[in-house]
Amino acid sequence: MANVQLPVRPAEQPPPPAEAPRARVRSRLRNVDVFALWPVAVMLVIVFVTALRSEHYFTVFNFENILSQVSPLGIVTMGQAILLVSAGLDLSVGYNIALSSIVTGLMLEDGYPLWLAIAAGVGAATAVGFANGVLVAQNRAHPFIITLGMSIFLFGLDTQLTGGAPVNDMRGLYTAFGGNLPSYPPFFGLPAVAVPLGAVVVLAYALLRWTPLGRRAYAIGGNEEAAYLSGIPIKRTKIYLYTLMGALVGLTGMVLAGQINEASFNLAQNFELESIACAVIGGTALFGGRGGALRSIQGVALWGVVQNAIVFAGLSSNYQQMALGAIIVIAVMVTRAQR
Amino acid sequence: MPDAPLLRIDHVSKRFPGVQALDDVSLVVDAGEVRGLVGQNGAGKSTLVKCITGVHPPDSGRIVLGGEPIGTYLPKHAYELGIAVVHQRTQLIPWLSVTENVLLGQLPTFGGAIVRRGEANRIARELLERFRLDIDPETPVARLAPPERQQVAIARALFRRARFLILDEPTASLDAARAARLFELVRDLQREGVGVLYVSHHLEEVFSLADRITVLRDGRVVATRPAAELSQSEVVTLMAGRRLEAAAARSAAPARAAEAAALELDHVSTDVLHDVAFAVHDGEVVGLTGVVGAGGHDVARLLFGLERPLAGEVRLAGERYRPHGPKEAIAAGVFLVPEDPTRDGLVPALSVAHNITLVDLASVSRLGLLSRRLEQAVAGRYVRDLSIAAASVDTPVRNLSGGNQQKVLVAKALAVGARLLVLEEPTQGVDVHATAEIHRIVRGLAEEGRGVLVISTDVRDLLEFVDRVVALRGGRVVEDVAAAETDYARILDLMVGSLQAAA
Repeated sequence: MANVQLPVRPAEQPPPPAEAPRARVRSRLRNVDVFALWPVAVMLVIVFVTALRSEHYFTVFNFENILSQVSPLGIVTMGQAILLVSAGLDLSVGYNIALSSIVTGLMLEDGYPLWLAIAAGVGAATAVGFANGVLVAQNRAHPFIITLGMSIFLFGLDTQLTGGAPVNDMRGLYTAFGGNLPSYPPFFGLPAVAVPLGAVVVLAYALLRWTPLGRRAYAIGGNEEAAYLSGIPIKRTKIYLYTLMGALVGLTGMVLAGQINEASFNLAQNFELESIACAVIGGTALFGGRGGALRSIQGVALWGVVQNAIVFAGLSSNYQQMALGAIIVIAVMVTRAQR
Repeated sequence: MPDAPLLRIDHVSKRFPGVQALDDVSLVVDAGEVRGLVGQNGAGKSTLVKCITGVHPPDSGRIVLGGEPIGTYLPKHAYELGIAVVHQRTQLIPWLSVTENVLLGQLPTFGGAIVRRGEANRIARELLERFRLDIDPETPVARLAPPERQQVAIARALFRRARFLILDEPTASLDAARAARLFELVRDLQREGVGVLYVSHHLEEVFSLADRITVLRDGRVVATRPAAELSQSEVVTLMAGRRLEAAAARSAAPARAAEAAALELDHVSTDVLHDVAFAVHDGEVVGLTGVVGAGGHDVARLLFGLERPLAGEVRLAGERYRPHGPKEAIAAGVFLVPEDPTRDGLVPALSVAHNITLVDLASVSRLGLLSRRLEQAVAGRYVRDLSIAAASVDTPVRNLSGGNQQKVLVAKALAVGARLLVLEEPTQGVDVHATAEIHRIVRGLAEEGRGVLVISTDVRDLLEFVDRVVALRGGRVVEDVAAAETDYARILDLMVGSLQAAA
C-alpha cells in the first residue's frame, strides 16, 4: 500500500493528450444537448407555417420588429437566468424597471443633463438590486417572498413619484433607442435596442461560463451546502448577483423608456413573470444549478416569434398569453423528459 | 404462547451492488416477546429492519406474519399488516396536533365530514396516559421535545393496533427517566402480546429488556440465544468475530511524541463532547470511532468551523485554531470530506473538473477568467493519480459511483493543498474494491506527510488502515491507542459494552 501515485510532481506529468482540432470540435458537438434546442425547432416550424400564410411575414422588417419588441425583455431575462442558476429569482424587476425610468424621466423633465439622469436611474435600480441581495442573503428567506415584497413596495413608490401620470418625453434616450441603426453594413438597420441586448447576452454568457462568480452561482444553485463547505462566500456571491440584476434592470429601464419615449409605473408590466418564463422555456432550471445565457435567450426568441405569429394569424392578443402559458407547461414537461 | 410465531423470517437474503447485506437470515419472534437485535455498524441490522417494513424487498426468502406469508409490499402496507417501526427520527407532521398525528387518517367524525374533536382528543389522551405522558393532545408536534415526539410516534403505532413493533435505537434521544418510562411501556406491550424487535447499540438496555438476543455479523445471524444465557462480553465477542489478522497487515506506528502535533484537541468540550483530548501528527492516520451520537460527527463539525468549543482549545501545528466557518478552515489547511458526498460535499450537476477546482477558482483563472485548459490539467492530474473512474473530466459527478465521488472529494482537498484531511465515513456505502482503494489513498496521503483523521463508526474497517484509534463513548474519549496494540473486540467493547476505559 506504500506506492500510491499522488500529486507531488506536476512537472513530470505528461501533457494532456493532444486532440486533433477536428476531433475536438466533434467531441464538443457531441456534448451539445440536442433536446435543449427544441425552442429553436418549434420556432422554425412557426416561422415556416406563418410564412406560407402571409407574404408580409418573411421580411427583414418583420424580423426587426420582433427583435425590437423582445430586446428589453431579453436583457432582464439574462439577469433572471443568472439568478435562477444560483437558485434565486427576482420578482421585483417589473416595478424596478419602472422605477429607473421614472427617476431618469423626472430628472430629464427638471432639466438635468442626460448622463446624470441615466446615472441616477440606473443607480436607483442597482440599489434596489443590492437591497434584494442583502435581504435574501441575510435572512435565508426564500427570494420569492423577499422580492415579492420589494415589488409591492416599488409599485407604491413608483405611483407616488409620478402621481400616476407618465413622463412623456425621454429626450436623449428616445433619440438613442427609439429608432434604427444606419441601414448600411455592419448595422443593417437593426433596431437600436438590439445593441444593448447583444452586449448583455455576451456578458451573461461570459459571466456564467468564464468567471469564478458564474461558477459559484452554479455551485450555490446546484448544492448550497456543498458550496458552503467548499468555502464559497455564499452571502457575498448572492449580493453580487442580485446587484448585477439591479444594474441590468436599470439598463432595461433606459432601453424601454427610450424605445417608447415614456416613463411610467406600468412600463414593464409582467416582465418579472415573462422573464422567468423565458429562462425556464429555454431550459434553465427553476431551482438552480442548470441552464445558461444561450438557452435562456432561445426562450425569449420563441416568445417573440409566437407573439408575432399570433398577430399575423389575426388573433387577439389574449391568445398570446394563452400561448405563453401553454409553452411554459410544455417546456417544463420537455425538461423533465430530458432528465 | 400461541402455536404459530408472530413473525417468522425465513432464509432472507439481500444483496446491494458490491455487498451482501443479508445472507440467509432466519429469525422467529413470538407474540409477547422482546427480541434484542445487535450487531456492529454494517452488520445488516437496518437492512433487516427495512426488509421487514417493506422498504427493501428481500432478494430471496420470505417473511411470515401471524402464520401468513406476506409477499412483496410497500412500507405503507406494513402499517396495515400491523408492523410499525419507530426510528430515531420519527416521521410526524410537525404543524398538526398530537391528536391529529396519532389518529391521522382515522379521526372520528360526524358523518365523515367534520372531525369530532372532543372524541378524538379523548382517545389520544387515553393513549398518552399509558405513557404516563402529560401532554395536551392539542399541542402541535413541532412544540414537543424530541423524546416526546418519539413517544407520540409509539402512541400512533399502538393506535394502529400494531402487532409487531420495531424500535430502532429508541433511546438515542432519551434521558434516563424517559428511557425508563419507555422500558415500562415495552414491558406493558409485551404483556398484551405485541412482539417487539429492539435494535440498539446499548447492550445494557438490550440485556435488561430482551428475552432473547440475536447477533448479526456480516449479514448473517451468528447467534440467537436467551439473554439469561449470555453475558455482555460474549455478545461483543460474537459481534466482533475472531479476527486478529488486521494488526499484522500494518507496520507499527513510529513513536513521535516529541514533535508538535499537526492537530491537537486540548480538553475540548461542546454540547456533546466532554473534555476530549487527542492529537494527529503529520504523516499519521488517526481513526476516531464511536457509535452514532458518540461525538465523532461533532469533532468533524468543530474542526471545520461549523461549531465552536465551549471549553478547551484546538491547536493546529502548535497554533490556536478557531475557525469561523469552512472558508477559514480551508485557508488554515484543513479540509473536510463529509459523510454524504452528494448531499454535503459535491455539486452533482457540475462536472468532475468543476467540482475539483471549485474551492480555489483563482488558481485556475487567468486575468479573472476561468481557464478551461488549467481546469482540465488540474482535474486530469487528480483523476489519474486517484484513478477516478469517469468517462471524462467533463462528466457530471452525479453519474459517478459512490467510491468515485469520495475520490473526487479527496481530489478537491488535494487541489487546495490541505495539510490535514478529515474524512467522515469514507467507506460507507462503497463496495469492497473501492474500500480497498480508499484505504490505499488515505495511507498515501499520510505518507506524503499530511495528517489524516478518519471519523467512522465502522471499527473493523478503521483498524485495517489507521495508525492510531481514538474511541469515543457519550462524548468522552475512552481509548487512545496504537492500532497495532489493540483489536476489534476490545474497541467494540469500549464503545458499546461493559468494558471501562483504564483510567
